[in-house]
Amino acid sequence: MSEIYDVVIVGSGIAGAVLAATLTQAGKRVLMLEAGLTAGAALTPQAAYENYQHYVQNFYSKANKATNGPYPDIPDAPSPDVLEIQAKTPYDTGYLVQEGPLPFASDCLRGPGGTTLHWLGNVPRMLPNDFKMHSLYGQGVDWPISYEDLKPYYEMAENEIGVSGSVSAQVGPDMNRTNYGADYEFPMHEIPQSYQDQQWIKNTQGLKVWLKGKEYTITCVSMPQGRNSVPNTAYTYGAVQWDAQAQKLVMPKTRVPYQVVGSVWDPYTGERCEGNASCVPICPVQAKYNALKTLKKCVQKNLSIRTQAVASQLNIDANSKEITGIVYKKYAHPNSSEYTQEVAQGKIYVLAASALENPKLLLASNAANSSDQVGRNLMDHLVMLTWGLFPEKIYPYRGPGCTTYIPSFRDGEFRRDFAAWISPIDNWGWSWPTFAPGTDVSNALAANIFGEQLRTTIADTVPRQALLHFECEQTPDPNNRITIDERYKDHLGNYRPVIHYDATDYLRKSFAAAKEVSDQIFAANGIEDHTVYNPTEADYVTWHGRGYTFRGAGHIVGTHRMGDKPNNSVVNPQQRTWDHPNLYLIGCGNMPTLGTSNPTLTMVALTYMAAENILKQLAE
Amino acid sequence: MTNPHLVHARPNSLRTRHRLIAPLSDLHICGSIKSVESLRRHLQTAIELEHSTIPPYLCALYSIDATTNAFAYQTIQSVVMEEMLHMILACNILNALGGRPSIDHPHFIPEYPTYLPHSNQAFKVPLEKFSKHTLHTFLKIEQPAPAAAPPEANHYQTIGQFYKALKHAINYLDAVTPGGIFTGDPSRQVLPEHYYGGGGKLIAVYDLDDANQAIDEIVGQGEGIDGTIFDTDSVMFGEEVEYAHYFKYNEILHERRYAPTDSAKLPPTGPAVAVNWQAVSDMQTNPKMADFPVGSPTWQAMHEFNRTYMTLLRALHDACNGAPASIATAIPQMYALKYQALALMQIPNGKGHMTGPSFEYIRL
Repeated sequence: MSEIYDVVIVGSGIAGAVLAATLTQAGKRVLMLEAGLTAGAALTPQAAYENYQHYVQNFYSKANKATNGPYPDIPDAPSPDVLEIQAKTPYDTGYLVQEGPLPFASDCLRGPGGTTLHWLGNVPRMLPNDFKMHSLYGQGVDWPISYEDLKPYYEMAENEIGVSGSVSAQVGPDMNRTNYGADYEFPMHEIPQSYQDQQWIKNTQGLKVWLKGKEYTITCVSMPQGRNSVPNTAYTYGAVQWDAQAQKLVMPKTRVPYQVVGSVWDPYTGERCEGNASCVPICPVQAKYNALKTLKKCVQKNLSIRTQAVASQLNIDANSKEITGIVYKKYAHPNSSEYTQEVAQGKIYVLAASALENPKLLLASNAANSSDQVGRNLMDHLVMLTWGLFPEKIYPYRGPGCTTYIPSFRDGEFRRDFAAWISPIDNWGWSWPTFAPGTDVSNALAANIFGEQLRTTIADTVPRQALLHFECEQTPDPNNRITIDERYKDHLGNYRPVIHYDATDYLRKSFAAAKEVSDQIFAANGIEDHTVYNPTEADYVTWHGRGYTFRGAGHIVGTHRMGDKPNNSVVNPQQRTWDHPNLYLIGCGNMPTLGTSNPTLTMVALTYMAAENILKQLAE
Repeated sequence: MTNPHLVHARPNSLRTRHRLIAPLSDLHICGSIKSVESLRRHLQTAIELEHSTIPPYLCALYSIDATTNAFAYQTIQSVVMEEMLHMILACNILNALGGRPSIDHPHFIPEYPTYLPHSNQAFKVPLEKFSKHTLHTFLKIEQPAPAAAPPEANHYQTIGQFYKALKHAINYLDAVTPGGIFTGDPSRQVLPEHYYGGGGKLIAVYDLDDANQAIDEIVGQGEGIDGTIFDTDSVMFGEEVEYAHYFKYNEILHERRYAPTDSAKLPPTGPAVAVNWQAVSDMQTNPKMADFPVGSPTWQAMHEFNRTYMTLLRALHDACNGAPASIATAIPQMYALKYQALALMQIPNGKGHMTGPSFEYIRL
């Protein structure tokens, strides 16, 4: 136990795994603490296969296919769960203590591999303007770094995640070839756009819509995604390496085509997306990227993973403010409140436990909070869904969850007034808003429809179900925050996150605008609108007398943000805490604003940046 | 993929790998293959030989459950995938030699029970459910050749001897033929970009070096390298330790993994693994469509299965005859094949067993 590692990392999700792989490949010795079960961290083929099949079987057997359904629910290291959400706050019946006024609607997964086990895998980059929200639009804050600063690290992230996509297709507001560079390609070709997307595209591509007296053109773009496809032989980068001489991370050019990374149990399973359409909550063949793949790339002799080890406290030297150890509680049985307490020690400490757990741990340790920003500025994409029936069958569920998105409202002058959004075209019928097709069957049965007629009814409606999706950008608000409270602790005596949360007018205006756009797209496609926002639902909000329900995107960000001044941010542009010389934070909590991208790609890019800084600090 | 020469230059095409089989010093030994035409015919046999093992392996695989028999299922599945890879590798070699693989002709699928094509006819291979008896048959198929076993182009005792003969012939004929024998159209190669999910890295074959590597891959995965239990992938590609087919099957039979120090000549002594010999679908041996009245539901289900199998073979045939990208259309057929086989194994045959897939040629 007394061994001192170069770096101690809390969390084995994508941020922790990317950091551990980079550091161990550079010869550094890393200790990783993981709160979840030992079985989930198995990387030998047989054990990894058996554990993952267990997840898959859980998925098959559960009636509700929600995000965390396949994965173990551990009382000693609980995860939030979207199924726990209730309309009326406050309540504390789930893992999250929801103080309201609105319940926070997203979850994540605590366990080896983290939330990448259930993520969708959409990986569009942020737009250059997203980094300058305050100076351009008077909203939120500017980042202390620019898109150009982050660009080389985006390339590293796309290499590691293994992005399939078409660079030349990425055209929209503030988005074109120059965002990527003239010769840049993704490692793999785009996943073919699904049949239903092609039906959408027919009447949506180039459609003019009106919003607040202004005309906008709707376009449909192929979605870059972290799932395997055919390697692009024009892609010229090899894997990320530490160049000790130059003191930087590099991606050497190579003529070796990109090596597709299959499942953790067998390199020849999951080499291509098979279109299982269950990406969320689980890809049965691991064609979708998950962080276990990166964990497996670590130089294993340089990595110790301590599982069933829940970090609970940072030890801090009162004079130097250096972290001297991380206290963790190691449990033998996930349901028992018994544990042994141990201390992990390293030269540098990194919290990579998610934007919910990182601030909780900092608050519990009175750490890194001289700015009073720890836990504040909690953000998510607020997802407004609209759904209807296409006139003809479009056959959802063919292909992965999303192969096309509408970028048209990702950026523009309107961002002064209301939130920007990205519109993925979902490939899952009405399953998200109505739990279709199960509810279609139960509703039909309730209407005394059965037998042949039932089959006809289902066959007529389910293949026509269309869903549109508006992910609206939440801006930082200090009152949307995570706190801790002595009254709320888990099984092991660790704090549970206490959440204070609301949606500002900036977002409510955005819902109203998005619904107007949705109406015009539906009309152009002849879609019969079946959208219902019910006042009894959780996260039902109103704007100018009309009601809208939003859902969580699972994009939990902002709670220990990066900034250029110690008085307004938790970490500096190097992602080191302003307050502690050997404590780094990584993950979505560092993001000052969210933009309209699914945040994982940006977060991984930031993590490579952090890895470089950590390696430099270790060299000093 | 538009430029095969780019791929050709890739380090993945194994320029730096070790030679795994003893160098061929006796180039004058040509054996019974004395012309390129004969060599092409023998490569067609190699393709048929690789294919002939797939239906028996699939019957055993489909008769067990992936969850109750995880080890056996994964093991057999991994072998099947490698046999598919070998089949395509053999096609790539044949195409490199200017030949034309024929995968959809009426006699491509052997009539089970069958001798291995061109073998010494020492044993017959049936279509059977998973059992110890079946595993013994599989061990005979994958029996490693003794290191000193002579090459045998015809009437071979082990598959390794057959490939040794092919390798000798390729090296000999390439050396004595002005301009060499690798005259095939490079655009007919199935490339690693086209092929995935199946048991190893596909090697595009443009020259002698590639052909030797491809044969080493086939023999190494099947039988092991030079008397070890390891397969070529762990030696050639630096992958996780994987054992050659014979030893994989031996692990199932003995319900025990090999320890890294185990000898190829002795049974495995590593950790025990669970194999459930009871949870097996009771498929009849060597089912035939002719066992059932033409047009009956069972006959129709078998016919439908065979139609799917022929469609799959047709896609592979096209892929190996100038349209490599059409291999993608074989993938959905492979899924359909599995589901249809599982359904057949649920249909009683009227004689106390279940029916099963018959793998018979039908005209599409």
